[in-house]
Amino acid sequence: MLRAFALAVFLALAFAQEIAVLTHGSFSLDKNLMAQFERETGLRLRFLKGGDAGETLNRAILTKGAPIADVIYGFDNTFLSRALEADILLPYRSPEIRNLKATLLLDPSFRALPVDYGWVSLNHDRAYFKDRPLPKAPADLTRPEYARLLVVQNPATSSPGLSFLMATVARFGEDGYLDFWARLRDGGVRVAKGWSEAYYTHFTLYKGDRPLVVSYTTSPAAEVYYSEGKYQEPPTGNLFPELAFFQVEFVGILKGTKNLEGAKRVVDWLLSKPVQENIPTEMWMYPARRDAALPPVFRFAPEPLGSVRLDPRAMAQNRERWIEEWTKVVLQGQSPEAVRRGRR
Amino acid sequence: MARLAGLFVLLFLGLALFYPLGRILALGVGEGFAQTLANPYYWERYLWSLEYGLLSAFLTLSLALPLAFLFRRQFPLREVFLALSILPFVLPTPVVALGFLALLGPRGLLGVDLYGTKALLLLAAVFYNLGLALRILLPVAVHLAEPMRAARVLGATPFRAFLRVGLPLLLPTLGSAGLLVFLYTFSAFGVPLLLGGPRYATLEVEVYTLLAHRLAFSEASALMLLQILTLSLALLLYRQLQPHPFAPGGLLSPLSWAWTVGLGTFFLLLYAPLWGLLLRTETAALVSAWTSEEFTSLPLALGNSLRFTALALLLALPLGIAYAAAAQKNRLLDLLGLFPLMVSPVAVGLGYLLAYPSFRGSLGLLLTAYALLAYPLLARALLPALKGLPPSLLWAARVLGATPFRAFFRVELPLVFPALRSGLALALAAILGEFGATLVLWRPEWTTLTLAIQERLGRPGEVPFKEALAIAALLALISGLLFYLLDRGRGRWG
Repeated sequence: MLRAFALAVFLALAFAQEIAVLTHGSFSLDKNLMAQFERETGLRLRFLKGGDAGETLNRAILTKGAPIADVIYGFDNTFLSRALEADILLPYRSPEIRNLKATLLLDPSFRALPVDYGWVSLNHDRAYFKDRPLPKAPADLTRPEYARLLVVQNPATSSPGLSFLMATVARFGEDGYLDFWARLRDGGVRVAKGWSEAYYTHFTLYKGDRPLVVSYTTSPAAEVYYSEGKYQEPPTGNLFPELAFFQVEFVGILKGTKNLEGAKRVVDWLLSKPVQENIPTEMWMYPARRDAALPPVFRFAPEPLGSVRLDPRAMAQNRERWIEEWTKVVLQGQSPEAVRRGRR
Repeated sequence: MARLAGLFVLLFLGLALFYPLGRILALGVGEGFAQTLANPYYWERYLWSLEYGLLSAFLTLSLALPLAFLFRRQFPLREVFLALSILPFVLPTPVVALGFLALLGPRGLLGVDLYGTKALLLLAAVFYNLGLALRILLPVAVHLAEPMRAARVLGATPFRAFLRVGLPLLLPTLGSAGLLVFLYTFSAFGVPLLLGGPRYATLEVEVYTLLAHRLAFSEASALMLLQILTLSLALLLYRQLQPHPFAPGGLLSPLSWAWTVGLGTFFLLLYAPLWGLLLRTETAALVSAWTSEEFTSLPLALGNSLRFTALALLLALPLGIAYAAAAQKNRLLDLLGLFPLMVSPVAVGLGYLLAYPSFRGSLGLLLTAYALLAYPLLARALLPALKGLPPSLLWAARVLGATPFRAFFRVELPLVFPALRSGLALALAAILGEFGATLVLWRPEWTTLTLAIQERLGRPGEVPFKEALAIAALLALISGLLFYLLDRGRGRWG
């Protein structure tokens, strides 16, 4: 009996159709949920991690025609326009859409469906600032007492870095954001390639030398969650919401998939309640579903009031130029005036 | 026969190199080119690449020249040192980069953090190219003894003899060795990508960033064009400088053991990054890399690397032999066939994506790129040996009734077999460590050992870093071992 069952399971696995999901490097979900999905659908899940969110999307665009996966998850609103323009996604009106928060439905063609959202935000190390005053407003960051304290990510190679850059554009405007960055540059801001390098190498909480880091509003809650009882309160905190940037992560079915039905089931699954309620403590984003309950530890991650948003069309039109101008000012040391003059 | 081989090589070059590069050219010459050239940032990248190449060439030569003069003399373990000196050249770039990080990075063994500095990049360039320069300079240095002695007998002071006789004989070789180092460093990718940070990105790294992160095809193409132009100029110069071949001369009076000890210490220090890598490799990290669920597991990456290398060699071997056979008689083909050595792997990958969109994501493209990048190395090793064969042997075979085809495969090829093996070793090492083209043409399930290292380095926690070190050590051992088995330190190539 047992042997027959084992054989049945083996055969089911051997003949199971594989569904490949291309994700960004920080993808993670509970293994039991995945196993359950595979049991119920007879599909086998394979997750391909393609690096940073932008890099992952570009990978999908570069292999258009012979897609390397059936489903892509993890590109965000700063890259939404690129994904739609590249025409790599199939429209899919999932039955779960009616359960999602309406404000997140940014693609009216239903090619990109929101899975989760959150805010990129400045974190500070509480221990470092115990006896020192915290900066009160974004402009304070450029003051001499905060020189050499901040680490950011290169917006050309990192999606939180790009989000933070866009937050500064939204905050200081087209005319002012370069001046802000030039002052940060003169104050010795450090530029890391990606989020994990900034957080785990340069942040003081992990033996780095920078007590201010671009991260997420949920990072303090994650620190408590992973500390296994060491912290009752977060060791880090969020700074001013005026520089917090709203981010939505999307899922889409890649054009050319050989298993459209399977791909649809994966999308439905990602939007289902159990997965949505697993997302907060696995990927530290807020679930896109209205009826998904948040875990208790999210009391340390309140949604920031007064965070900045940019018009998706403005982001699409100017993204490349902002990255280029940022590179000129911060990495290359050009003056903001010269860069602005070059625009005309 | 030679004509047939020539056609085969030309056809391959046309499809695998010139057509894709043409597509880049077409894209780069348009609007993107003017825009890119108007941007001072890209000029800065270009100037830094030039500076990096020139400085590295200068530093490498100033170390290699005295070394070459030392190696003219006989001393204990001389052959061993000579064999070892070429080892770094066949090591994959991520291995070398990680070796330097293990030694001089943040949390490095020496406690000095040189990450993201010019010094570290230059050190790495010297590490890579010193053996190469030494090999090129040595025959001339040996050969110089005779004419210098003649000059001295005729009454010249040692200084005058060196200035009027030694230097003119040495200069072309010095120039060509320097140019070769320049070519390799100017288009370096792995080391600046992994060690340089954004400040010291070379043109090649910038092209990769533009493509992978921003999909800026036209700008990437314009930069590529700039790079190809520079490399072509350097290549033309290199051909001009082709020094006369020197017959192997006898070694001079022996040096004492003291020199052996001194040189041994020097090589120990030179290889410090490798020791650093091996010292910091932990068995536990190897085990966790083997079973990793977070990243590509080691068995998959190892399998991919070995499989792709074997498959690509199947293509590179006939290409290399055909090219060597044809280039012997045809100077133009000889020059054209050298091109893949000078064109950057990232450019090749980019060109394939542009030229063959319907094959994007197919393994054939990756293998073609590997074969393209590896066959000239194989052929360069074979060519001098083929040229050195007395033509009478071939005539004899023909007179005895062999077809040209048969004569080549039954007489010539067996005679140059040792050289072929050396070339094969070099091609193998090049493919195993290939990084740039792989990074551009990669699909997740094709992750090779070099990419498995890069993947882990992207997330600088303690565990991924240790796993990366362990994989790098493994890759170094495999490349070193395969190279040794095939070449046995003969190094009959150049």
